[in-house]
Amino acid sequence: MTKFKQIISYTILVIASFLSAFPLYYMLCGATNQSIDVVRGRLIPGTYLIENFKTLVDMQNLGLAMFNSFRNAIVITVVTLLICSIAGYGFEIYHDKGKDILMSILLLAMMLPFVAIMIPLFKMFTSWKLVNTWIALALPSISTPFMIMLFRQAARSFPHDIIEAARLEGLSEIQIFFRMFIPVMKSTYGAAMTVTFMNAWNNYLWPTIILQDSKAITMPMLVANLKSGYSVDYGMLMLGVLICTLPTAIIFLCLQKSFANGITGAVK
Amino acid sequence: MKKKVLSVLLAAAMTVSMLTGCGSKPAGNDVQSAAPSEASKETEAAAETTASAEDETLTVWCWDPNFNVYAMKQAEKAYQVDHPNFKLDIQEKVYSDIETALITAAEAGDYSTLPDIFLMQDYSFHKNATNYPGIFTALDDCGIDFSQFSMGKLADSTVDGTHYGIPFDNGATIMAIRSDMVEAAGLKVEDFKDTTWSEFMELSKKVMAANDVPMLTCSGGSEIVIEMLQSAGASPMVDGKVSLVDNKALKKAIETYKQLIDEGIMADYTDWDQYIASMNKGTAAGVIQGCWIMSSIQAADDQAGKWAIVNMPKLDDVEGATNYANCGGASWAVSSNCKNTDLAFDFLNATFGADVDLYDDLLVNAGAIASYLPAAQSETYNEGNEFYGGQAVYKDIVEFAGHVPGIDYGAYYSDIRSALTDAITNVVQKNADIDTEIKNAQDTVEFNIAE
Amino acid sequence: MEKKKAKLSLEKKHNLTGWAFLLPASILIFVFCFYPMSQAILLSFRKTGGVFNGAANYARILKDKTFQQCLFNTFFYFVIQVPIMLVLALMLAQLLNNPKIKGKGIFRTLIFLPCATSLVSYSMIFKSLFAPDGVVNRVLMAIGLSSVDWFQSTWPARWVIVIALIWRWTGYNMVFYLAGLQNIDYSVYEASYIDGATPFQQFMKITIPLLKPTILMTAIMSTSGTLQLFDESMNLTAGGPGKSTMTLAHYIYNISFVETPKFNYAAALSVCILVMVAVLSAIQMKVGDKRD
Repeated sequence: MTKFKQIISYTILVIASFLSAFPLYYMLCGATNQSIDVVRGRLIPGTYLIENFKTLVDMQNLGLAMFNSFRNAIVITVVTLLICSIAGYGFEIYHDKGKDILMSILLLAMMLPFVAIMIPLFKMFTSWKLVNTWIALALPSISTPFMIMLFRQAARSFPHDIIEAARLEGLSEIQIFFRMFIPVMKSTYGAAMTVTFMNAWNNYLWPTIILQDSKAITMPMLVANLKSGYSVDYGMLMLGVLICTLPTAIIFLCLQKSFANGITGAVK
Repeated sequence: MKKKVLSVLLAAAMTVSMLTGCGSKPAGNDVQSAAPSEASKETEAAAETTASAEDETLTVWCWDPNFNVYAMKQAEKAYQVDHPNFKLDIQEKVYSDIETALITAAEAGDYSTLPDIFLMQDYSFHKNATNYPGIFTALDDCGIDFSQFSMGKLADSTVDGTHYGIPFDNGATIMAIRSDMVEAAGLKVEDFKDTTWSEFMELSKKVMAANDVPMLTCSGGSEIVIEMLQSAGASPMVDGKVSLVDNKALKKAIETYKQLIDEGIMADYTDWDQYIASMNKGTAAGVIQGCWIMSSIQAADDQAGKWAIVNMPKLDDVEGATNYANCGGASWAVSSNCKNTDLAFDFLNATFGADVDLYDDLLVNAGAIASYLPAAQSETYNEGNEFYGGQAVYKDIVEFAGHVPGIDYGAYYSDIRSALTDAITNVVQKNADIDTEIKNAQDTVEFNIAE
Repeated sequence: MEKKKAKLSLEKKHNLTGWAFLLPASILIFVFCFYPMSQAILLSFRKTGGVFNGAANYARILKDKTFQQCLFNTFFYFVIQVPIMLVLALMLAQLLNNPKIKGKGIFRTLIFLPCATSLVSYSMIFKSLFAPDGVVNRVLMAIGLSSVDWFQSTWPARWVIVIALIWRWTGYNMVFYLAGLQNIDYSVYEASYIDGATPFQQFMKITIPLLKPTILMTAIMSTSGTLQLFDESMNLTAGGPGKSTMTLAHYIYNISFVETPKFNYAAALSVCILVMVAVLSAIQMKVGDKRD
């Protein structure tokens, strides 16, 4: 029975993984083939990787885009996690009527399409002379109701006994957050980090508006450039796309243990 | 207790520095937009005689490294011969992002983020010049002889008699056909020149029978209908009013398109990449498109010598119908944020407004066919091209461009096209009545453009 | 007396600490979201040029056929896609939470991959898979069905979008469930197994109730995300054929940046979306967010 169940589990997982991983394979084939073969639908890895890479580096400032993207994504991720987790913790642990109402109000922030607030936002940053700075890029995306809510929901399973015990030991409230909450909530932080990094990495619309200088190019902009000409080099495009996808995938691979194998049993 | 205060302070300090610390130093390295104007003022004051490099740098937005970015780089080199301090900062941007950035700047009322020169798709000039004239610097007094450009093309970037653009690439419509497939059907490429659609369909059936592929490939129906409409010079806007309902050419064009699809003469690939693939894979015997499609066709080396270029068929029984249309193409514009307009004018005038050698280079190395008429006189344009079996394709295309009838969309190209796409889809997919659909399209456009 | 005062002030202090903790995040949201939002709402009551226009922009919505079409499309995606995706994500998370399964890290990473894949490649792949002679049609023909003109016909095109959304976001939601499941001791499952519970019963009786806060959160997220859906409509189908797959957000983008610009009307449409998402989220919270 257990054997049978296991076989079913594996079958489902293998099918799901196959469907999910197919695009990666497709990108890999594309990145290693000549443009014309990609167009003709060749689905076998080729030998054209080096040439594609050379054209890509010739045509685009790959190093700069990588550097910018990493810097933006890392800064945004670190600050977001800090600010949103502390807020989520505050909302749940010290919850009262007022804070619950504030939370509901904050939720409204993610319900208006970004296109609608883009122009007022842009106006604001031009008046502060902050256009073309990564500060202007980061500020609107740091605090999201979603992340606050993620940590608020997670804090719900954080036992109050721990807090009381820590208070008796003389820890301050902020110390409890840093020394007790963060280590215990490793799994939530892992998930939040992956998702924030991914969103920051893939963000496109706002960066193209606020970063008008080509020195601020990010990876998604670089990939978009690869597809904007009258004739597209598909091999190079696929290589660019592959390079753009890998960081998030690798970060996920590294972090997934922390949020999925973490702390079973530590909190009940 | 002390500890507690300390940690709260720390947290507070952190957030305060986050919020205000960054905002208080706008002169940091990151601020590039505010710098040039101030810097140039300072240098002007400091040393009036020695022009610094800063003074002679222009920023340009365009989007295709093999095409218009390359063109700007070559123009920069050409201009540097006489102006050693001149420099271009060419920034590659996707076209839709250029337009979004322009509109955002205009809506926000702050043009300081715009470059000196940008490339704009021809179909956008009327819309943007009407709604956001503040984006542009008018080019009427820039010294360029506009009579040297093809008229049809120039009309796109001229709004109410004011010039906003210097025409760049030619978008004359061509019909590229597989000469080998045509010959396999016992026909000659010549047979496809100057045809009407009904004649063309008869010929196509022979080619399809012999090769077992559709005669044409297309990407989304509205494009070909729009080209047909232009080939008859049948404006969707007449005297500032939407005129789709009584437009005979429009009805005929939609009927023709429907027939092409129903009889399998034309295969419609919604997706651009699949569309390109259909040419490269040889699963279509031809394509009707702006001449810039040639670079995609030529990507298939193994089809060299198997293609030929002719003009497109013309609508049957429509007054003023021709075999010529235009699709795509772009023009250079100078933004209102350009501080050194004299330099920008002189640069554009000396390069895209006069330099035949530059255009020769662009033709050979970027496949960019000029709208600058004197360029077409050069020998390079008259050389045969091996990919097209030795045909002097560029000469032919420039000639096509000269015959394109003018067409007026007012400022509403995108609105009209979007409504027509719906109508065409309903006619072809759902067999809807053409007259009703055209009426709906007219209503939709009128609704959209009403304030 | 002394003691009571101390206690009161301690509670007050905690309360204040709580406010201090959520202050930075709240200020950021107020400045960078609510302030521009208020601008947008003001905009929606004016016409081009800034003249006050009353509710004219909202009245216009009622007459706008394209809006009605887009509203229908958007709600179709919402109703079909969100439940399927969330249930799938929950199931996969439960499977991957089983300590007896080997190679979980690889499975997890692969299933997460779709949402990390950049939009450009993802839309290219889907377009080629669902092309007239693409893999999907070849499979359909191989099993004896007729091929479908996916992108050229209304309903198939809508289904492609639904499939694409499920494909792209299931792994994403799974991540939150996996993280949430770590707070449930696995021995609960083992005990219920000994009691003879089937996997389905475990799913209904353990996984769902214990993950309720997380499920609520992902439901609100997906609601908001789907009603603001833009990428798929724009890149996968370009709204076509005709406008039969176009979403509201895509329409708003078009009337702002593609067609004759109508930013005031676009703002009114955006407010419309805001109200719809807010109502749907409020309902979900009413149903799901009880502190017990």
